[in-house]
Amino acid sequence: MTPVYLQRGALHSTLGADLSDAASNLLADLRPQPTPFQLHELQQPRPYFAVATDETLDARLDRLLGETLGDAAAGDCLLIVASTALDITELETQVAADGGFRFEHSTPLDLMAERLRQRHGFADAFTLNTACTSAANGLLYGARLLASGDCTQVLVLAFETPSAIAQQGFSALDLTSPSGAYRPFHPERDGLVLGECYCATLLGLEPGPAPLAKLLGGFSACDTSSLTTTREDGSHIDWVMQRALNAAGVEAGQIGLIKLHGTATGANDLAESAGMRLLYPDQMPPLAVLKPWLGHTLGACGLSETLLLLAALRQGTLPALDYAGEALLPLPTEPTAIAPDALLLANFFGFGGNNASLVLQGIAQ
Amino acid sequence: MKVIAASEIHGSAELDDKALKAALSRYLSSPPRRIDRLIFQALLGAALLKEQVRSDCGLYLASRHPARPTMGALLDAVCVQQRQPKPFEFVNSVSNAAGFHVAQQLGLEGPNLFVGAGPRVWPQLQRLAALDLADGLVSQALLIVVEDLGDFRVQAVLLERGEASAPAADFAALTASVDVKRLDL
Repeated sequence: MTPVYLQRGALHSTLGADLSDAASNLLADLRPQPTPFQLHELQQPRPYFAVATDETLDARLDRLLGETLGDAAAGDCLLIVASTALDITELETQVAADGGFRFEHSTPLDLMAERLRQRHGFADAFTLNTACTSAANGLLYGARLLASGDCTQVLVLAFETPSAIAQQGFSALDLTSPSGAYRPFHPERDGLVLGECYCATLLGLEPGPAPLAKLLGGFSACDTSSLTTTREDGSHIDWVMQRALNAAGVEAGQIGLIKLHGTATGANDLAESAGMRLLYPDQMPPLAVLKPWLGHTLGACGLSETLLLLAALRQGTLPALDYAGEALLPLPTEPTAIAPDALLLANFFGFGGNNASLVLQGIAQ
Repeated sequence: MKVIAASEIHGSAELDDKALKAALSRYLSSPPRRIDRLIFQALLGAALLKEQVRSDCGLYLASRHPARPTMGALLDAVCVQQRQPKPFEFVNSVSNAAGFHVAQQLGLEGPNLFVGAGPRVWPQLQRLAALDLADGLVSQALLIVVEDLGDFRVQAVLLERGEASAPAADFAALTASVDVKRLDL
């Protein structure tokens, strides 16, 4: 694949109001304080990582787009919106106020992309929704559209708003953590903590004045064994990681750090552990998980975690995990110093069988 | 890109899921259970072309709306009645659930993307598919667009790599050179 630059990035998450704050808080191991919600009927609390803000969604997305576009002309740019939530929070409020769902409540799935295209003058815009791989696929296909000459710049916008359906739905599947101790790959992990997040990046064939990274390649495919999990033996994950490395022209042994998907759900972490052992039967590169600090940002995690990792590597050493000695995979027992220009493999897996891996190389400041 | 085959299905808003299941059973020996309207519609679009689809085929699915009965049930349960959603309804509400079932039924192993269908959906799907075909990731690409405004329409096109050309603006232009398999329900 032709390398494509992440020229700029913006992140507004529970970990900080901007990317630099979030990276500083990650490096200082300052975890966000969850805001609990109650499970309907069961009346049990579950943690949620919310973003503190008074901005409307439109204002927040407009600000992120402005920060990310900078001097670039939107008229030369394709906008890819990667989100599972889209306008669901607005819809939830409307249906509650009206006392029930009506046919006309249902808005088109391209509504937000089309509104943003018209408001900012993007050349084209579409919504990509492949569950928790949405933003990873946005980066991958956006980069390849750019390299094919289909457009001159691509802006990937990814976000997840607080959704009662997501909160209650993941809980109905017993996937949210009752304890709130977000511990991917811990033998006694008890599920995920959802996180609110808004992020964007501008992709270009040239580095621009302050590039964050190069996207060297990636791969995305569907494992049809189960709608909600991937093969427990890790074979599909291993295959996707290998295809991603091939697309990037990189050997597994050259990877300097792997950002795991690590949801802390039972099945995902088992499958990812098995996949990692297939790709690295002897010794693994340093590993990182980011969801304990950001929450699981669902369709946005492909971009939120990528941006956070890149910014953190520029600023210092990634924190250790206090349970690393017990974990299914060799997670860091000590703070991990990784060269900012190391080769990175980043995993993202989702419902619908969608598995994706990206290969990136950070760029030192 | 070269168009191999295409299908177009029109269905009435009066058709319930039982009728869609009966229609689907004419094409698929063991259709999945507990699926919603969007999944039925996507499966029908794909099923008409399944004899020509190989396993290394990418799937590029788009829908204008989510399945409204599923969204309505979830929203009413969670936001009005303050109940827990039914797990199968929550899982079906994931936009790429329909793509998963199409891939599973047709044995597809390649990329599987879901796009919110807007006014430029056909060129957008063709551009995404062209990338995977050009890079040799797949040898075929199955494009499906579902539009449900009460009465519904499902259009599907099976492509393979061919001469590079500008994407067609719509289904009619894309399928002008082939006989479209049509089904009215």
